[in-house]
Amino acid sequence: MTGWGGFFILLQRRKDYRVNSTELITSSARRWPDKPALITDDAVVPYGALAASIVEFAKQLQQWGVKPGNRIGVKYPNSVWYVVLTFALWRVEATAVPIPLECSEQEINSIISLLGLDAIISHHPRGDSVSMAPGLFITNLLNTPANGNHGLNAAFIRFTSGTTSVRKGVLLCHETVHDRIIAANKGLRIGPEDTVIWCLPMSHHFLVTIVLYLSQGATIALVNSTLAHPFLETTRRVRGTVLYASPMQYAWLARANSALDLATVRLAISTTYTLPQDVAEEFTNRFRRPLSQGLGIIELGLVCLNLDDPVHRSDSVGKPLPDYRVRIFNADNGGCGELGVSGPGFFDAYAHPWATREEIMPDGWFHTGDIARIDDDGFVFLLGRKTAVINMAGRKIFPEEVEAVLNRHPTVKESRVYGRAHAHVGELIEAEVVPSRVGADVEELREFCRSQLAAFKVPNHIHLVSAIARTSATGKILRPDTVTLYE
Amino acid sequence: MSEPRDVEIQLLAFLRREVFSPQIIVSEDTDLVAAGFDSLSLVRLLLFVEQTYGLWIPESKITAEILRDVRSLAAAVCTLLHES
Repeated sequence: MTGWGGFFILLQRRKDYRVNSTELITSSARRWPDKPALITDDAVVPYGALAASIVEFAKQLQQWGVKPGNRIGVKYPNSVWYVVLTFALWRVEATAVPIPLECSEQEINSIISLLGLDAIISHHPRGDSVSMAPGLFITNLLNTPANGNHGLNAAFIRFTSGTTSVRKGVLLCHETVHDRIIAANKGLRIGPEDTVIWCLPMSHHFLVTIVLYLSQGATIALVNSTLAHPFLETTRRVRGTVLYASPMQYAWLARANSALDLATVRLAISTTYTLPQDVAEEFTNRFRRPLSQGLGIIELGLVCLNLDDPVHRSDSVGKPLPDYRVRIFNADNGGCGELGVSGPGFFDAYAHPWATREEIMPDGWFHTGDIARIDDDGFVFLLGRKTAVINMAGRKIFPEEVEAVLNRHPTVKESRVYGRAHAHVGELIEAEVVPSRVGADVEELREFCRSQLAAFKVPNHIHLVSAIARTSATGKILRPDTVTLYE
Repeated sequence: MSEPRDVEIQLLAFLRREVFSPQIIVSEDTDLVAAGFDSLSLVRLLLFVEQTYGLWIPESKITAEILRDVRSLAAAVCTLLHES
């Protein structure tokens, strides 16, 4: 581990000191003041300037009334500003709550009320927002100040939508961020010589990625398009060494009509959903570089990464990184069962309803819901899922949430939502609907869903059926995909 | 066989209905990326084209040029449909 690790431990020993992740930037700025931290199409931001912007913006946040313990929503596109404002929120000891850009207004309102947000920082004006800078607005929500963090040094709450039966909001403390960065970098080995090509939404990926890279003095190049040509062109221009993208982006790269190569790249990581084998093969053949699948889980961090055999075992997420242990629970005769993980830097609590890590995993093992097997050499293979959550191109959709919307429509008696395997995007969303009366219209139902849900959660297909299978014992909707096996 | 004009109309209706917010005015020659068309929009567009025309646009064809506006997108979809 590089220098700041020891520095951190010294600080942690001071009794009154609370770790704050802004120290990571301060430390990098001291060591590499002139080295580029972020590169965009039209700007290069050195570490010194980045740290100074964070200090300056933190002062502004205080002037706008942001206080320690506040929970502040961040609805902002990938940009230098995204990084500045998140670290500035940490600097004033507020908790950052990323809000994906694709969220509908109803979903944002749900996040505001369930997590008790104190303000939202956004790219576009909202309601009573005031402008802090061009393209940067703050909406004060005037919630009564209630520190819902139970004394925890909360850095981050990642909202995960779902139903009342699903816990919402994964809370991570600064200490946790620190621990999981150290654990992840034992595999990634990011250092100041690295340049990472970045295209995934920061609202979904930030800690063991952006924060980790900046803590190690790497340069991040923001690509404003995920299409193959700009991605390859940026990689060539900035001499990118690390790629972190989704299977679909790798498919575009592997099949692009372009003479550009990836000669400078030392590590290409595929994340967010299962990598189709033809994409892995075509990428490796074309660029003469392996494509490593990783397993990142918001509650845990980066648990597995296929560094050891990405070519011959490209369907594996690899071995666990050194600080993690993995185990198969309730294995069948073939050794398949639920993947459990133990290790450092796990989530601290679920924010709503409040539940601590110790309450959720008293034995220290987190049950991932993934059905997996581990081969004799320790490689983990994901085979399917125990839960019914649908993964479309890396976006998670909880069937119960979509069913609840469908069931509110006057022509719907009941509904069942499930995922259907798709060769390119992981899964599609399908729904079966039992109409309550004649005249139920599929397009009208989709329109109704669009008015209530983020657009990507609207079922791709709706089938009108006469009945939905239920379990005889409990009357719950029978989910034939309760154990979904990947094709 | 689908004609470019019909495909344009269908794609425009889809984008207005399912991708862009009502405040954003989209026509055949609106710059899609400038209007806020992102990677998630692209995934949903690909699925719409697959569902409507039975065509998965090959990855090699997905370029900034065909995604420039609805007119070039519709032309590309029609060419691919004729080829298949």
